[in-house]
Amino acid sequence: MAEPFIIETEDLRKNYGAVEAVRGLSLQVPAGSICGFIGRNGAGKTTTIKVLLGMARPTGGHARVFGLDADSENASVDIRRRTAFVSDDKDLYGYMTVAEMIRFTAAFFPRWRADLQQRYLRTFELPLDRKVKALSSGMRTKLFLLLALCRGAELLILDEPTSGLDPAMTEEVLRALVAHVASEEMTIFFSSHQLAEVDQIADRVVIIDRGRAVVTGALEDLRENFRRIQLVFDGEAPSPTFHAPGVERVWRKGRVLTVLSSDGSERIVDEARSLSPISVEVVPVTLKEIFLETVLTED
Amino acid sequence: MLWYKSWLETRWRFLIGLGLLILSAAATVAVYPQVVKLLPLVSNVDVSGQLGRQVAESVALSRDYRGYVWSSWFRENLTRLWTLFAVLLGTGGLLAQSAGGGTLFTLSLPVSRTQLLGVRAATSLAELLLLAFVPSFVIAILSPAVGQTYSIKDVLVHSACMFIAGSAFFSLTFLLSSVFNDVWRPLLLVLCVAIVMALSGFVIPSVAPYSPFRVMSAEVYFRREGLPWLGLIASAALSVAMLYWATRNIARQDF
Amino acid sequence: MLLRTNPSSGVPIYLQLMEQVKHAIETGALRPGDQLPGIRPLAEELVINPNTVAKAYRELEHEGVIELRHGAGAFVAGNAQAKKVTDKFRAGQTIVAAAVERLRARGVTAEEIRRLFEAELARLSQ
Repeated sequence: MAEPFIIETEDLRKNYGAVEAVRGLSLQVPAGSICGFIGRNGAGKTTTIKVLLGMARPTGGHARVFGLDADSENASVDIRRRTAFVSDDKDLYGYMTVAEMIRFTAAFFPRWRADLQQRYLRTFELPLDRKVKALSSGMRTKLFLLLALCRGAELLILDEPTSGLDPAMTEEVLRALVAHVASEEMTIFFSSHQLAEVDQIADRVVIIDRGRAVVTGALEDLRENFRRIQLVFDGEAPSPTFHAPGVERVWRKGRVLTVLSSDGSERIVDEARSLSPISVEVVPVTLKEIFLETVLTED
Repeated sequence: MLWYKSWLETRWRFLIGLGLLILSAAATVAVYPQVVKLLPLVSNVDVSGQLGRQVAESVALSRDYRGYVWSSWFRENLTRLWTLFAVLLGTGGLLAQSAGGGTLFTLSLPVSRTQLLGVRAATSLAELLLLAFVPSFVIAILSPAVGQTYSIKDVLVHSACMFIAGSAFFSLTFLLSSVFNDVWRPLLLVLCVAIVMALSGFVIPSVAPYSPFRVMSAEVYFRREGLPWLGLIASAALSVAMLYWATRNIARQDF
Repeated sequence: MLLRTNPSSGVPIYLQLMEQVKHAIETGALRPGDQLPGIRPLAEELVINPNTVAKAYRELEHEGVIELRHGAGAFVAGNAQAKKVTDKFRAGQTIVAAAVERLRARGVTAEEIRRLFEAELARLSQ
């Protein structure tokens, strides 16, 4: 009996005092997927992750991991037994050495993978005797990842896993993640500002803006369904109301009317033709464009 | 491994405290012969007021070694130093570490917050126990060097009372650490409380019998009038209540 | 195995992979009966999602270019099959190449050419 969604939130809300960090977020992450969680700074990514791991209590709505209620203290300990986490601050215990951090962490996880520990120590080139406070930020990130990947966890929750890493290290990290998913039964949920990374390894994406999910789905579906339709008119472009579904944004500039569609272009182009444009162009949209267009403020 | 982590986080406070206390204990013993020589000179001085009464009393007590150890060590040196370290060991914790101490990493481990707090409290309390007993034992061990003996039973009783009654200062600091997210405010607040309590005995004589410091030094036992049961139980109960309150605070905290 | 993908090119990665496999068959780098890299090793090497590789292989199987043998892996389809499919693809490619050539000669840019094709396909699918 497998839970179809490893992570699921329903109308999740979280307020810090008067600040509404998460305002009705609903998302689902299926087992075995690599899900990219993208959004601007302050959109609610880290808060959502904290709620999932029991570091913060939800103000409203529900959050479930492995089908367990993230808000329940006991269930949360169970969740954390099966989950590996990398925080965005990458802070560990400065006074411990790399070796001590590994020994410390391994003690909590009976399924610790000593074989992976050896492999990552080698590929990440981590010096066993150095204190964590003496590590560069790149090395700290890699140590954090090692501690996460060796736990024998079913779910990896990563908050900006490659921030501060140079391109070579980033590729190493992404390779380790892909290799991990390929060989273990694992789901990865990671937030990132690097859309290129998400493009590269994710198969699902959740875009969060101002505490709500504005786009969710399989990345391939997004690439196939999102289109930019550009209509040029003879005179001033009209402001029509489109009845076709999937109209995400419409903007006018002089004689040009541009439509961002999340549901293909056929029906919109159909409707548009009744307005007699002098030219119609349909172009695919990259993830970056999808992101930028769906999170910019509506005028 | 949580125990090991707590140890790493508190070991310098503990070791420095232990070092200072052992030195103080040794000095207390070593100075005794000098004190004996000076006694005849002091007994003639007439100082009035509460402070004067205390000084006169100390002089009177020092005539006999047991009285000297009680007034110099248990009532003064140990009480002051130990209380300081009780407060120092009560600081720290998840909240204070929020800014760069691996708090999120700790919270991502499969342990309950109660467990985290419990281990931290237990480690520090164990260290405080040692800080009360070990230097006092040193007094007993070194006494023969100045031609005196000090009873082991007295060491045990006085150290135990020090620990049980004084643990309230630790617990108060621990509790405040679950409310304030820096190390300084709990530290300074509790030290102020301790100082006010110590001074109030001078300023308002009627309050003096209720001072926690009297229970910590087990004055009642010293004067062979039994044990300060009421004070010990009240202190212990207060300690437990404050630690429990701290646990509830952290359990509810958003990080 | 020289397969490469470019995540930022705008073309879905699985399509890129499919094209690369077909190209390899066309040029003879892959011959009928040859085994393709496993899904996991290939995903690791290219640092892309294993599901993407799986999808590319499924689509290739659907088109008849490769065979997925349960437990054994992916193999280039037997003689006539793969060649026939890739031949159709290549014929299409020749036509498109010619059209693109002519458009370039008229000064139409690559981006404009792509938009023209998309618009035409959108128009046709009504």
